[in-house]
Amino acid sequence: MDHDEHGLGQLIEQSDDIQADAMRASRASLHEVVEVGRERRARGEIDQEEVEEFSTRRSAALRQGLAGAGAAVGLGAAILALSQTSAFAAAPGDVQILQTAAAIENLAVATYGVALTLPFIGGASANPVVKTFVTKTRQQHIEHAAAFNASIRALGGKPQTKPDPVLLQVVDKAKPTLTNPAKVVDLAITLENGAAETYVKDAGVLKDLNAKDLTASIMGVEAQHVAILLAVRALLAGGLGADITLPPPIAKLPAAAGSVGFPNAFYSTTAARPATEGAVR
Amino acid sequence: MTYPENADTRDDAGRGVDRGGAPDMAISESELRSLTNDMVDAHHDTFPQMRASIAEWEELEGESTRRALSRRGFLATAGAMIAGGVALAALPAAAATRPGGALAAARAGLPAMGSDVPLDVVVAGLAASLENLAVATYGAALKAASAHKLGPVPAAIGNFATVAMAQHKDHAAAWNSVLVSAKYKPITASNPLYASIVDKDFAKVADVAGVAELALTLEGVAAATYLEAIKALSTPAAVAIAASIQPVEMQHVAVLNFVLGRYPVPLAFGSLSGAAPVSAAHGLDFVKS
Repeated sequence: MDHDEHGLGQLIEQSDDIQADAMRASRASLHEVVEVGRERRARGEIDQEEVEEFSTRRSAALRQGLAGAGAAVGLGAAILALSQTSAFAAAPGDVQILQTAAAIENLAVATYGVALTLPFIGGASANPVVKTFVTKTRQQHIEHAAAFNASIRALGGKPQTKPDPVLLQVVDKAKPTLTNPAKVVDLAITLENGAAETYVKDAGVLKDLNAKDLTASIMGVEAQHVAILLAVRALLAGGLGADITLPPPIAKLPAAAGSVGFPNAFYSTTAARPATEGAVR
Repeated sequence: MTYPENADTRDDAGRGVDRGGAPDMAISESELRSLTNDMVDAHHDTFPQMRASIAEWEELEGESTRRALSRRGFLATAGAMIAGGVALAALPAAAATRPGGALAAARAGLPAMGSDVPLDVVVAGLAASLENLAVATYGAALKAASAHKLGPVPAAIGNFATVAMAQHKDHAAAWNSVLVSAKYKPITASNPLYASIVDKDFAKVADVAGVAELALTLEGVAAATYLEAIKALSTPAAVAIAASIQPVEMQHVAVLNFVLGRYPVPLAFGSLSGAAPVSAAHGLDFVKS
């Protein structure tokens, strides 16, 4: 196998440094969003339409806010009360969506963990690039789960530590069939694409800016996982498994390999998981 | 930078056509085509969703986008961190470095375009102009490849550029449909600020790796810009469009990273680094139709 593991390790180390920087920037950005939201609401800078929409769609949260503010309060005071809670922009819907996202991530972590116990993924006979990808991707899903659960906590919800129950059945059913790399890659594509499509949909639904920002920052990464997995699957199917190297032998690869990873101009949401599928019961 | 004459790079079935110049490798090509065709067909299934989103925009435009100027500023924190090539890195710092912060900067950017232009419309125009630039850049690269100005061009690279260009063309069309629905004329030009810089960078490109580096920077700018836009846009339809495009730009980034011999998915979270500042919409003509 034409592969420089030392070089790959250095590349990953560099990317980890960048990752740490990105995480710091992300945290700062999310903190800023929270602060801006608090300030706006404290100043009453919310227009009537937004308030009405908020009230209609998030009646449970509003009732909670009214209760906290006292019996006879106006709408402005209710909003002010909401702004003073950690879940000022939150609503049960957002928490459930985030719990489902965390559940999807938990399942991905577990599934990649199982994959790494297979000799052709995590063992001596594994392609080093594939092994590295699975290891690194699992770690990224761990970080996603932690981030979603942190967001859930910030909104006053209960963290989700269990896997998505419906997708878990898919994984359990597939486990006995995971007899070669291609089948593992197929399963991974199913999970990664399901995650990406779910988050694309969530990004348009979430009300809390912090949660929306976080989800949007993860959806593209899952789509990147899909892209690489699609390319790997195509190369395996074409009998070109030996060409899965970093850097790839680009001059040798078929033309289609250049675009197999991004088949759609717009990311679909048809495989998005239902918002409450992974919510804490 | 101008559009290539053969910018329409899809065959009658709507599939990407390789015009990259280098001959395809016969082995495994049919299998790969077979595997990809189903997914390419699926691409066309996503268009009805786009149309529905745009129709929704039309209904909401009159109310939601008018509220845009009271929202938190667009493209607040990332403009100062523009990454990529040396010339692109020289782009002006955006809101984060300006007195008064993000909101002031976003507002300050708007009057020159007309204070009555809703922020969502400005964002749609900015996005269209960046997509136009991507189309033009890939088109110029393919032309240069055909003219043997880039040395040997692997078939996979030619195919990447061809399909990515077609997707950016679709993205531009989606944003322009938004503008048309909001009663503005489409933005058909490349973003003038970025185009002037990309033109200079492109003039220095001598091989495929150079093109890939430039493309990586452009794709990164687009992905980061959409990530910012998702939280700044107010119209649900516009948010949905940005959310459906951002992952595709990220996929382009992953493949380019891989081609360049770098780990393809280095970050667990999408970065805002390189996001276009709202001031990059200066010079665009927001004309009511």
